[in-house]
Amino acid sequence: MGIYPAGAMSRWSPETRERARSILARYPEKRSAVMPLLYLAAAEEGYLTDEGMAEVAEWVGLTPAQVQSVASFYTMYKREPTGRYLVSCCTSISCMLLGADEVLAAVEDEAGVPAGETDEDGVITVEHVECIGACGGAPAVQVNYELIEGVTPDTARELVRWLRSAAPDSVRADEMQELFGTRRSFDWAIAEHAGAVGPYPAFEPYGTTDGHP
Amino acid sequence: MSEVVTVTIDGRQVEVPAGELLIKAAQDRGTYIPRFCWHPRMKPVGMCRMCLVELETPRGPAIVTACTTPVSDGMVVHTRNETVQRVQEGVLEFLLINHPLDCPVCDRGGECPLQDHVMAYGPGESRFVEEKRHFEKPIPISDLVLLDRERCILCARCTRFSEEISGDPLIEFTDRGNGVHIATFPDLPFSSYFSGNTVQICPVGALTATAYRFRARPWDLTAVESTCLQCTAGDRISIQASQNEVLRILGVDVEPTNQGWLSDRCRFGFQYLGSPERLATPLLRDATGDHVEASWSEALAVAATRIGDVLQRSGGQAVAVLGGARLTNEDAYALSKFARVVLGTNHVDAQMDDGLDPQFLAATVDRARIGDLETAKAILVWGPDLKEEHPTLYLRVRRAAQELGAKLVVVHPRRTGLDDRATHKLTYRPGEGADLLTELVAGTGRAAEAREALAEGPVVGLVGRAGYGEDPRLAEAVAAFVRTLPDGKVLPLARRANVYGALDMGLAPTLLPGRVSVAGEGADAIAEAWGGLPDHPGLDARGILEAAAAGDIEVLILVGADPVRDVPDGDLARRALETVPFVVAIDQFLTDSSRVADVVFCADGFAEKEGTVTNLEGRVQKVNRIVPGPGQTRPDWSILDDLARRLGVELGLTSAEAIAKEIAEVAPAYRGVTWERLDWEARDGIVVPEEGHAPLRYVPADTPGARHGGDLVLHLARVMYDDGVLARHSPALAGLAPGGAVFLHPDDATRLGLGSAEQARVVTEHGEATLPLRMDDTLHRGVVYVPFNQPGVPPLGPGPGVTVTPA
Ligand code: SF4
Ligand code: FES
Ligand code: FES
Repeated sequence: MGIYPAGAMSRWSPETRERARSILARYPEKRSAVMPLLYLAAAEEGYLTDEGMAEVAEWVGLTPAQVQSVASFYTMYKREPTGRYLVSCCTSISCMLLGADEVLAAVEDEAGVPAGETDEDGVITVEHVECIGACGGAPAVQVNYELIEGVTPDTARELVRWLRSAAPDSVRADEMQELFGTRRSFDWAIAEHAGAVGPYPAFEPYGTTDGHP
Repeated sequence: MSEVVTVTIDGRQVEVPAGELLIKAAQDRGTYIPRFCWHPRMKPVGMCRMCLVELETPRGPAIVTACTTPVSDGMVVHTRNETVQRVQEGVLEFLLINHPLDCPVCDRGGECPLQDHVMAYGPGESRFVEEKRHFEKPIPISDLVLLDRERCILCARCTRFSEEISGDPLIEFTDRGNGVHIATFPDLPFSSYFSGNTVQICPVGALTATAYRFRARPWDLTAVESTCLQCTAGDRISIQASQNEVLRILGVDVEPTNQGWLSDRCRFGFQYLGSPERLATPLLRDATGDHVEASWSEALAVAATRIGDVLQRSGGQAVAVLGGARLTNEDAYALSKFARVVLGTNHVDAQMDDGLDPQFLAATVDRARIGDLETAKAILVWGPDLKEEHPTLYLRVRRAAQELGAKLVVVHPRRTGLDDRATHKLTYRPGEGADLLTELVAGTGRAAEAREALAEGPVVGLVGRAGYGEDPRLAEAVAAFVRTLPDGKVLPLARRANVYGALDMGLAPTLLPGRVSVAGEGADAIAEAWGGLPDHPGLDARGILEAAAAGDIEVLILVGADPVRDVPDGDLARRALETVPFVVAIDQFLTDSSRVADVVFCADGFAEKEGTVTNLEGRVQKVNRIVPGPGQTRPDWSILDDLARRLGVELGLTSAEAIAKEIAEVAPAYRGVTWERLDWEARDGIVVPEEGHAPLRYVPADTPGARHGGDLVLHLARVMYDDGVLARHSPALAGLAPGGAVFLHPDDATRLGLGSAEQARVVTEHGEATLPLRMDDTLHRGVVYVPFNQPGVPPLGPGPGVTVTPA
């Protein structure tokens, strides 16, 4: 559009740029690709930087202010660095009724930081979130947006300890459910094999998975 | 479209156009529905809920937003029944939850839609006792606009303006829920040329102008409607002043020109009026060559004696007049008459070497109106970057392309502000426009698709000179081409204030008042009215300066003209002024040019005098007076009348209004145009000529001009903010000039060994400069772009030839 610094050199890796191109190709309107590209930008740098948003703006033909408007509306676009594992504890009504507050307290205590913060080593970020769509398996917790249902304060502590000691390259919902979950809302049918590698959802086309189907 | 439906509003049956929005239909029939987010010039969004009304539907009453509901036949609406009143109270109570109610310290207090609506429709009391939100206040979102976020009611008028109207959406809502606020991106301010409009349309005091903040209370302001002279579109404005000081300018919504919007140059460019450096007395040169203050009679006597001597010795051929584009038509007429009758010279030019034929600008046949853009199927812009030089026209073209579906072809040597809305964009090297035009006419080569876009009419062509490196005849050839297109009409573009009015008053060597050619039909009548006309051929601005530099001009009169800064060949102007033995300046400031004048007369400026002006479509409108000029300033016509008398000629000029009457009689194209009509029945102005009063019908010449061969060509073009004298004395604008720079295409830079250089040396036939080097991949290859008249940059002259070397 020529109204923000144009022609700035891309900061992205060739693979990311290739991905951006293939995502853009799916949309008749370039600007519709803003949300997937924001995940790309986040995955590229670990979180969404101003430069990342400005780059997305160039790709989709919006201004950086417009991209920031979208990015700041959604809480899943992290605009501050997070720890390697983002632990999101649901505290909405179903989970709350089944003990979410205790689960959150256990996670905070074990991680050593209150919700909204990251531990000193940059390993764990704790947050509390609104309903994550697993009410049937409440209380629910996510690690890097991979879901674990039926978490208890004890298994929550184990989860945090496991993240620290095993330090998995990627986390996988099924594996964590096995280790730390109890009751499930329902069988999620097709098992999800790809694991998430950072504080953004695991999407194959965005390159935000561990790449092992 | 003209279908009519019947709607019952508060029990009253009215007929309204089908499909119109209820809020608008009701307003036009006398029922005001309160609103914050709806703006008649923008698309409805239904965000604020203030316009809720009750509709009777087959399923019972329904509450709907009047700003998003189109009327339909038989619709029954209640805008003030008990339910609606309760709803309005609720909406306002919610809106006030986070509003600080700091009205006593808010610029908007006293003219605030929120304040007014709460008074008229609000609950009177709030049940909200919790903490309101707080923000750091105010934060600058640009050099000109401040934002107090806690006052914002999230109506999205400002953001929609920036996206829908001005096309630079650099402000947006950020965050969510209770945290939503307007924000810019870090280090990317809302540096829109149109940012001031958001201040005007914000329904609260969230956006305020740095130039006006805390300067006045609305009830202390007096206002007068006038016409802006910062560009040539003739935008309607309201000038507002307190205690004889102009404090702000607002846009007035009229259909034919600006539709309410203004550029920031227009809105904030008035501050020079109150500058302490304004000339407030006449000046004379003393024995040591310094300017000293003088009385009017002293100064006039000196000027009359010296001019009289020269006239006697050498005749009118040795006298020349430059400038006049900043004058009202009345003053321009006085100057034209003074030059012809008293000085006996045709060496007059208001155009200051902008290069286009004055007859082309004044009297092109098939001249378009701005309003034609609303119905145009295709628009060709071949000339200056409208965003830089014709900002409100830019908004109209943008609207035509973006909202009204016109095809838009833009031709310019580099990127322009309209490119993102252009159906086709072509770049070229100045000097090679002829080749591109040949392709466009034939529909071949790279112009083939653009030619197709122009196949369906009506077509409007906005044509002018892209820059000073361009052969001025190209614009005429383009105009000639546009006239061959289906229903093709042309708007010839010039950019100086009232230059169209000045040309219409005969401030050109080949023109007399009322679009009469010096040698053509109607000249005799003017000769008779004026008692004779000079018969020697006149020189244009370039010719005058060249003759002056050669010693052939003995008296040069500058009227609001600063040739040193303002013609492309500033160096020639400097030499001319040094050579001419006697220079008279009528001006508001001492400029680089008037500094060398022997006599300086101080003149009233904009907002200090009443008169008429003419815009680029030929629309005559009033400008009005709201403050007196500083000290002893006088209107130009009266200075000239006095000077004439001392030279033994009675011009018979008694007042601006009397001059207007004389114009209406003497100048054919202005026949019947009176102040009275303009003040009362024709508030939107009168487009001249009205039927049948135009002796001159100029047909654009179909010769595309000379081709320039060199390796590099210079594209010297104006940008919005430059180092012009009025901008320099307007603090709000003074810092906005981007500064000198030379732009090259990266390929050219590499070829010239300048790939990583930070500076480059630019040498032309007329000047040279070392400038910061910028890469610009939108430039056509082989073009060197330099913005004109930037602070600290020496003049580079009009020619296309240029070399660029490492500094
Ligand atoms: S700043 Fe003013 S115009 Fe912009 S959204 Fe807020 S209230 Fe509306
Ligand atoms: S309430 Fe926790 S997942 Fe829905
Ligand atoms: S004016 Fe209709 S919702 Fe704002």
